[in-house]
Amino acid sequence: MQQILSAQAKEGMVLAKDVMTPESRVLCGKGTVLSTTLLDRLEKMDIVHVTVEGHPVELPGEKTLKQELQAVEERFSDVTQIAPLMYIKQRIMKKLVESRG
Amino acid sequence: MEDSKRQQFRAALRETKNLPTLPGIVVKLSRMADDPDSTTEQMGKVLSKDHILAAKLLKLVNSAFYGFPQRISSLSSAIILLGFNVVKSLIVSASIFEMMEDQDVELWEHSLGCAVACSVVARRIGVDEPEEVSTAGLIHDIGKVAIKMELPQEYEMITRLMRERKMSMRQAELEVLGLGHDEAGGWLTKSWNLPTKLIEPIACHHDPRLAKDEMLSSSIIHFSDILIRGMGYGHAGDDKVPALSKRAWQLLNLSPEDINFIIDEVEEKLWEVKGFSLEIQAETENSATNG
Repeated sequence: MQQILSAQAKEGMVLAKDVMTPESRVLCGKGTVLSTTLLDRLEKMDIVHVTVEGHPVELPGEKTLKQELQAVEERFSDVTQIAPLMYIKQRIMKKLVESRG
Repeated sequence: MEDSKRQQFRAALRETKNLPTLPGIVVKLSRMADDPDSTTEQMGKVLSKDHILAAKLLKLVNSAFYGFPQRISSLSSAIILLGFNVVKSLIVSASIFEMMEDQDVELWEHSLGCAVACSVVARRIGVDEPEEVSTAGLIHDIGKVAIKMELPQEYEMITRLMRERKMSMRQAELEVLGLGHDEAGGWLTKSWNLPTKLIEPIACHHDPRLAKDEMLSSSIIHFSDILIRGMGYGHAGDDKVPALSKRAWQLLNLSPEDINFIIDEVEEKLWEVKGFSLEIQAETENSATNG
């Protein structure tokens, strides 16, 4: 799942979350495959960002999963003695792996 | 640290020159809030006169950290739903954030993330006014902004200490100034006459035991700050997750199921907030190219 600017969205990408209008109505639902017509509509409606399946857009400077996991280890390196924080760390790492899968 | 030096910094931070002072509109609204004859509609009308402020307020209110299912389109319903204390703090945050967006996007993201986490934790444990807790979360690091703006030389020394001696930002602040951003944030919000419910959690977010009346809110912000750092959302000056206060942990009394729920929910809401900051960036870029 990746959140991208509508300008970065391309035909064939699949929505991972509903796209809402500013009035909180669903414009197109989760699972919709983006077509050129839909992309035009998003632009007309001033939709700034969309969430799509997978990780289709390579952003400059973006970390790989391995780097992300290392960064989590590093952030928690001063608190390895504190059990609740170690539990939180495990959960965060598990979710990171799932989101990239 | 000599007391005189501490006093001097305290005075410098009190007489803030670069930080926005509380807009006159807040003074007017406070007076109205104390007057039993004034209605929320009247207060909404006063607020709407400042178009830019009104737009910003509605944007903040409708962003993910308050999580109302319906879009809030009028300021008077914002006052009813959020309470006057929250609206008052939002007016302050709106002016501060304008500055933070330009100055320090990552601290602004950390603040938004912390507000989201506060809102989720406060709702999960069932506190009475979760909106107040998330508002305190939103401005918990305001002391950092004040130090950066008002004491640029000292701020330079602080960041150097962090780099060279691998100190946390707060350790470096204590070394250079003899006071931390938590304490500074406490004075600042006090000088703006924000309610104790917001002042204490800001002043005590690194050590909730110091709180007299608001230990639970302080603990929620303490924990949310840690959680959002752990999740790596935004950047608060230093990267390391700080120690968890035992007292706060006991008070929150969260089970593993609570933690799982909280992390899932925060992550879900952060997607929306991320959209919110993408939008702001897009707007800033637009106005830069158009202006």
